[in-house]
Amino acid sequence: MNSVELINISKHFGSLMANDGINLKVRDNSVHCIIGENGAGKSTLMKILFGIYRPDSGEIRVNGIPAHFRSAHDAIKLKIGMLHQHFMLVEDFSVIENVILGNELSKGITLDFDKSRQAITGLIEKYNLSLNPDSKVSDLNVSEKQKTELLKLLYRQSEIIIFDEPTAVLSPVEVGEFFKIITKFRDEGKTIIVITHKLKEVREIADDVTVLRRGKSVYSVNRESLDIDVLAKEIVGELEPATALQKINMGNNDIAVEIENIVLDKGGVRKLDGLNMKLRKGEVYGVCGVEGNGQGEIADLIFGLEKYSSGKFITFSDLISLIPDDRIEKGMIKEFSVGENVILKNKNINIISKNLIAKTTSEIVSKYDIRLSDYNAPLQSLSGGNQQKVIFAREIELDNDILVFAHPTRGVDINASAFIHSVIISERNKGKTVLLISSDLDEIFFLADRIGVLYKGKIVREFSSNELSSKSEEDVDVLLEKIGKLMIGITVEE
Amino acid sequence: MDIFGYIISLSFLAQVLRLFTPYYLGASAANFSERGGVINIAIEGFMITSAFCYALFAVLTGNVLLSLFLAVTINILFSLLYSAFTIKLKINQIVTGVGFNLLMAGLAKFIMMLIFRSSSNTPRIESLPHIPFIADMPGIGKVLADYIIIFTFLLVPISQYLIYKTKFGLRLRSAGENPAAAESLGVNVRNYKLYGVMLSGFLSALAGIWLASNQNSFSDGMIAGRGYIAIAAMIIGKWKPWNIFWACIMFAAFEAFEISLQISGINFPSQLLQMLPYLITVLVLIGFIGKTKPPAADGIPY
Repeated sequence: MNSVELINISKHFGSLMANDGINLKVRDNSVHCIIGENGAGKSTLMKILFGIYRPDSGEIRVNGIPAHFRSAHDAIKLKIGMLHQHFMLVEDFSVIENVILGNELSKGITLDFDKSRQAITGLIEKYNLSLNPDSKVSDLNVSEKQKTELLKLLYRQSEIIIFDEPTAVLSPVEVGEFFKIITKFRDEGKTIIVITHKLKEVREIADDVTVLRRGKSVYSVNRESLDIDVLAKEIVGELEPATALQKINMGNNDIAVEIENIVLDKGGVRKLDGLNMKLRKGEVYGVCGVEGNGQGEIADLIFGLEKYSSGKFITFSDLISLIPDDRIEKGMIKEFSVGENVILKNKNINIISKNLIAKTTSEIVSKYDIRLSDYNAPLQSLSGGNQQKVIFAREIELDNDILVFAHPTRGVDINASAFIHSVIISERNKGKTVLLISSDLDEIFFLADRIGVLYKGKIVREFSSNELSSKSEEDVDVLLEKIGKLMIGITVEE
Repeated sequence: MDIFGYIISLSFLAQVLRLFTPYYLGASAANFSERGGVINIAIEGFMITSAFCYALFAVLTGNVLLSLFLAVTINILFSLLYSAFTIKLKINQIVTGVGFNLLMAGLAKFIMMLIFRSSSNTPRIESLPHIPFIADMPGIGKVLADYIIIFTFLLVPISQYLIYKTKFGLRLRSAGENPAAAESLGVNVRNYKLYGVMLSGFLSALAGIWLASNQNSFSDGMIAGRGYIAIAAMIIGKWKPWNIFWACIMFAAFEAFEISLQISGINFPSQLLQMLPYLITVLVLIGFIGKTKPPAADGIPY
């Protein structure tokens, strides 16, 4: 039996065919992954299934019955729930208030907080969510906010749940927890649809996979006959992933940034607690850790956005590029166009003409393969991966000495990730100093010359390039496990 | 007159209560609108409208209760017009508000000129009836025997309850904090914004009517910036009913003090004294209460 059937769905925006005759069958009680590159049409398709967009043509069937959605509300009535990539939470509300909003339990006109709390605590315990229902959402970290979104769906007894890139904001440990929750949902009879572009995740959780490429459903396979190499080819199509550049050692590895015993408090909370780091020229230093252990503050410290209360900070150059962890809030002006966002950071430009904007845009667009419909469109109208490419391109083009990149490939597809990685290596080979902050251990392993594990505002262990150069797969696994433990504060015996 | 003896006297307290009433009604009016995400800087204009309409109908009909009813109704209709501009047509809320304020001040003068041949004030009108038993009480009984003053005091716990403990309040706040999230959960955001603005129209009507009734006429400029001070009190009170209550008490106390200084004949420039409430707002905002945070989506059309 199929919970969801999408038959020949098409949807266009302007001249762009976002969905072009897509077919999708989601079996009852299964985890179905939808994989594809940025702009392949995954999010559009799911928004159609959730009633946010109306398809130009095609049919939606839910539990075998044709459905016509006028709004998300109609989808919710059929017990479809969606966990959006960008959270839809009221920051000033408690978890309880966020969950009950729209479906309140009341005694007369008074809200029944006791009964609501009971119901929500029950769900929290059942799914092991470890969350305080009375905390204010603005005090929660990303993973807890995601759990609050999950509670909203569970409270409304959603049976078909769509996740839009749910792991993009989670650390490896949290991803593990999250997958356990998904599996539990499936085991009790819910149907799960996950949008992703991570092959690793598909291998881990998918019962079925459908590949979308340029608006078409090109390939479907179930768990038994899943072959990751075949899948990767189907995702990128005829294009071959860019080959990785070799790291070349230039020999001049002088210290570029020296951080000694830095203490930094923010809003009364100690964010960096005796941080020690030395960044060298021609080297990628990787910082890994569970989100919220001071990653953002390291980036802000080096870039000069945060003041430290004690310690020593020396940098040989103040030409610093930064990709902040929260690109939408800190990295760009979302209402500005691509060209305007790029020009904004260029100190040498004083007079801005239409031509200059057009020229800047076309240079960046062709060099970094950015897909946009209109040069004047605000940056926020681009897909997440393309926004990230714009910011990355701007920071690289500035040709600064020190590059601080937080999650440079978050939300970016395979091809673009490979491209970003090769640019980072070539910048390193030019003698630039790179600080890479990432929650993706594979990325850190691939790029970093040295790795520091960050826990509670300090580097608890640093791995030298010698330690990392071990080649065998088992060694890597041992190393990965060790780092994973250090990240959550378990001391490892050496 | 012994000014310090006066400050601790009952008549000073009575004066504070009288000044407090329009401030709190106005501040509460502004708060219900902003909690739903609509900035209502037109409180001043709403108060002018209701004060004028009340006085106009009182003169024409001689029936104060009928006039009260008509003035409230007209003010709510004006709030619907304000909603049409700000919620439906999504016109900038500050521009709309300032426009309403200027329009209402001018319109009142214009109509007075047409009907009463005077652009400065209406003929004398009767006061609203008093509450019989309380009026006979000694001390400040005369002040407390006022239905609108009693209502204003009850309004503090009522708003607190309405905003934080009811479904209405939760949805109203969600519309002011994150309308997109509220909409995704099936909350009709525009309706709740509309309710907020209508409550605003109702409460500011009471403020205007009370002022006209107490002064026994409507005169040009009689609202005298009270609508703006009410908004300042709402900000100082951080959009919370009890905090707003204390902010309004503070403004009223300073104003009562200013008036008593003037009466006492102490030689002090009155302009400086009248500046006091605004100076206090600035000082309080920069120093004493820390950062105030409006509803996250306040003022953004949705």
